[in-house]
Amino acid sequence: MTRYLDGWMLPALDEANREFFTSGKIVVRECRGCQTIQHPPEDLCYRCGGYEFGGREVAGTGTIYSHTVIRHPVHPKLSERLPYTVVLVSLDELPDVRITGNLLEAAPEDVRVGLAVRAVWEEIPDPETGDVLRLPQWVPA
Amino acid sequence: MQRRTAVAGVGESEFFKRGGASETEFQLACKAIRRAVEDAGLKLSDVDGIVSYMDARNNPVRLSAALGLSRIEFTGQTFGGGGNGAASAVMIADAAISAGYAETIVVFRALAQGQFGRFGQAGFGYSAGRNVVPGPQAFTVPYGLVTAAQINAVQTVRFMHEHAVTQDSLFEVAFVAYDNAQRNPRALRRGSPITREDYDESRWIAEPFHLFDCCPENDGASAIVVTTVERARDLAKGAVPILAAAQGLEHRGGVDGFNEAPFPTAHFRHVGESLWSRAGVSPKDVPVAQFYENFTGPVLMAISEMGFCPPDDLEKWVTAGSLRWPNGELPINTSGGNLGEAYIHGFGLVNEAVRQIRGESTSQVEGAELSLMVAGPGYAPGSAVLFCRD
Repeated sequence: MTRYLDGWMLPALDEANREFFTSGKIVVRECRGCQTIQHPPEDLCYRCGGYEFGGREVAGTGTIYSHTVIRHPVHPKLSERLPYTVVLVSLDELPDVRITGNLLEAAPEDVRVGLAVRAVWEEIPDPETGDVLRLPQWVPA
Repeated sequence: MQRRTAVAGVGESEFFKRGGASETEFQLACKAIRRAVEDAGLKLSDVDGIVSYMDARNNPVRLSAALGLSRIEFTGQTFGGGGNGAASAVMIADAAISAGYAETIVVFRALAQGQFGRFGQAGFGYSAGRNVVPGPQAFTVPYGLVTAAQINAVQTVRFMHEHAVTQDSLFEVAFVAYDNAQRNPRALRRGSPITREDYDESRWIAEPFHLFDCCPENDGASAIVVTTVERARDLAKGAVPILAAAQGLEHRGGVDGFNEAPFPTAHFRHVGESLWSRAGVSPKDVPVAQFYENFTGPVLMAISEMGFCPPDDLEKWVTAGSLRWPNGELPINTSGGNLGEAYIHGFGLVNEAVRQIRGESTSQVEGAELSLMVAGPGYAPGSAVLFCRD
């Protein structure tokens, strides 16, 4: 699909976010020592101090926890995309983990707290590595 | 702490709309500091400390050289992404003087968004010239969430949802700032009051924020002089003692990507507790307050977290006119604040809090014995400072 914010900035891949942004699944970081989920990633586990993390795959379903509709240009590359909808999604399997994304296939007026959504992925070549990025996005479930 | 130190002088440069200053940001900083020192009846050579926040440009090396400060004993800055440090900068000066490390400290902020980066455009904290963004912002910026207005909009929508707060309350915060600005000769928005119709018809920035919910981008500088309460009593304007100050950060508070717990918060949950405990007073004793307005929604969150009104009662309390001068229960932002006077990263609100104790405000709350300044909400750690009558 064409990217929702076509031409705008992409995540810089690193060890901590590679799986999240390339796997085509919702995969968040989990401490290998105490299984605490840590999103966004940090260098050490906030519960046990561990340094070792793995990925935990969860279902790509959730509900909108909060949102905004952006109507004011803050960068020339975003101006043509206005208005666009940013959503904060609480995952069904991990309600305390909140994922930021855009709401696709819905008008700005349709966004509301509590709306059930499911993940879809935008595939974009990474400009720096040539890898394929798969950006999680959200559509009404 | 507890009346050991006091504000002896306040000063500011002229204020300008973004790009309107004919002086450089550094010249504006020096002008505000000179005026604060003059207001106190001191000489620049009396200054032995410099404190600010989020300011690497107007640093003590440049300032001491330009202002002829011959013996600096103390410098300091607070952490944090923005105006959350406006009150904790005063707290640092209070702590340093109380500890005896300095006697007369200038606390200031200079900000000319017309000369450097604009807070309201993309590219803050990363290069918008690159195609990729690293670190925690990789999880938000690629989705077009880039400015403070947008980030605070997400927090505010959730807060409004949880506590049945409506646009009516947001409007009140904007209205009182523009209304109070009409009486303040320094205010950039003097002569430009707003009605509810103006507010409703102003363009959306990031819902639920209209243009008038958002602080402007301005150029200017504000400064105060803090010294011992004993010394301040002998100076030109007398002492405005610092009764208490507080900072606050909870575990995982301010974690990126809205994954802090609890969410949303303005980061004042234990700032209020600590402040009232140290001061020996409670919110109901406070007749006037300055609440840093980055955006109207976070002000409501801050008012609630500081203990003035339970969040579920905010809508009723605020729309009853409680924040309006002169008859509201708690008039706020009596200079016009960040929205109506000028956005100098919130430090103008410190000057106004001092003026309320002196009886010098253009929207004076008569006989104010206590005067509160609450720094930028939504950025951690939060901070607040409470001034009192000597």
